[in-house]
Amino acid sequence: MARRYDTRTTIFSPQGRLYQVEYAIKAIQNAGTAVGILTKEGIVLAAAKMVTSKLLEQKGTSEKMYIIDDHLCSAVAGITADANILVDYARRNALQYKFRYGEPIPVESLIQNICDLKQSYTQFGGLRPYGVSFLLAGFDKHYGFQLYKSDPSGNFGGWKATSIGPGEQQADSLLKNEYDEDISLENGLQLALKVLSKSMDTTQIEADKLEFSTISLNDREQLEYHLLTENEIADLVASADLEPES
Amino acid sequence: MSILEYNGGCVLAMAGKGCVAIASDLRLGSQAQTIAFDKSKVFKLNDQCFIGLPGLLSDSQTFVDKLKFRTALYKLKEGREMQPSVLSHVTANMLYQKRFGPYFIEPVIAGLDENGDPFISAMDLIGAPVFAKDFVLAGTSSESLYGMSESLWREGLEPEDLFEVISQALLSAFDRDAVSGWGAVVHIITQDEIITRKLKARQD
Repeated sequence: MARRYDTRTTIFSPQGRLYQVEYAIKAIQNAGTAVGILTKEGIVLAAAKMVTSKLLEQKGTSEKMYIIDDHLCSAVAGITADANILVDYARRNALQYKFRYGEPIPVESLIQNICDLKQSYTQFGGLRPYGVSFLLAGFDKHYGFQLYKSDPSGNFGGWKATSIGPGEQQADSLLKNEYDEDISLENGLQLALKVLSKSMDTTQIEADKLEFSTISLNDREQLEYHLLTENEIADLVASADLEPES
Repeated sequence: MSILEYNGGCVLAMAGKGCVAIASDLRLGSQAQTIAFDKSKVFKLNDQCFIGLPGLLSDSQTFVDKLKFRTALYKLKEGREMQPSVLSHVTANMLYQKRFGPYFIEPVIAGLDENGDPFISAMDLIGAPVFAKDFVLAGTSSESLYGMSESLWREGLEPEDLFEVISQALLSAFDRDAVSGWGAVVHIITQDEIITRKLKARQD
């Protein structure tokens, strides 16, 4: 029955569903999980990489984490090629705002703009939607540190802690139990690691399969983005004392 | 009156040993009337690149905002800072895009490349570049600046000596120009640090 109504984005099914959008959301399940945690000191983003091979030469590029502007960073889940386009769009959008208004783009404005673009692919043009979910982390003078999640439909919401990708249900339920608003950035990293590892299928956690980044205020009251090095991730994993999934 | 002379102002850049210097006057005028004496025409784009934009102030400000956009996007996409030689090319390209309705600015670029080698260049308002080993300049005092620089510049100047040379050249040159002057700012760029100094000048 769905066959008749699922090949074009621009038509509803009789039940009022947009099948192409739903299928796009399903595409996210083939990517690596990503987790975001908001703390008073800053935001932690953690992600599991899908493409890992000893032969991979990956200096200077990231599969999951992208800086959007000085005060914004993101983790993506879904079709990497689609994500690259959206990240480029987000970067231009943020810089155009800065050019026009002389100040950094508010976090909510940027996620709104990205989502408006995503939405347009569900209603116009007959082109397929972007198969990408975003976790956007940023800081602005209006609301401080903020974390937003968006999906291929163009829907978004502000979150204290959330996840995207295959392990999102497990991750979200764990976060519901363990997250506390007063958590420190350091403990946030630990929590993100714990949640990510529990929601992954593997029994062993390997540091080179994970990416972590934080955005926080440093001692000089300046906003700082930090992508954890392999050694730092290894230290984090070691100090976490994780139990293997049974 | 040429539109390039409306606000007044000049920029001079010189290369030294492992360092570059770029300086400008501080006057902003509306033809004969002086409006401000704190308007430097030199802008920092990153630790390696400085650009001086004498000419019509409105175009200088807009153009530097456009350059900030381009250098920021470049840094995000390439994961590295834009080098001065690349900036020079980008600027020339952007100016030629407006070949038949140009920005009324004459850019002067100075910086150190990733190997620490000095780079200076300048171009006209439609992006014809010139690359020099010694000095580059632009603005309403250009003729006097050429004379002063040609006389005072020599090869292998250390940062402190370069500072003296560029300062004397600029000061003496814009004193001969009615629409430039009212103080100056000098940036000395070395691998380790950037020293910025304000010069006291005749306030006329």
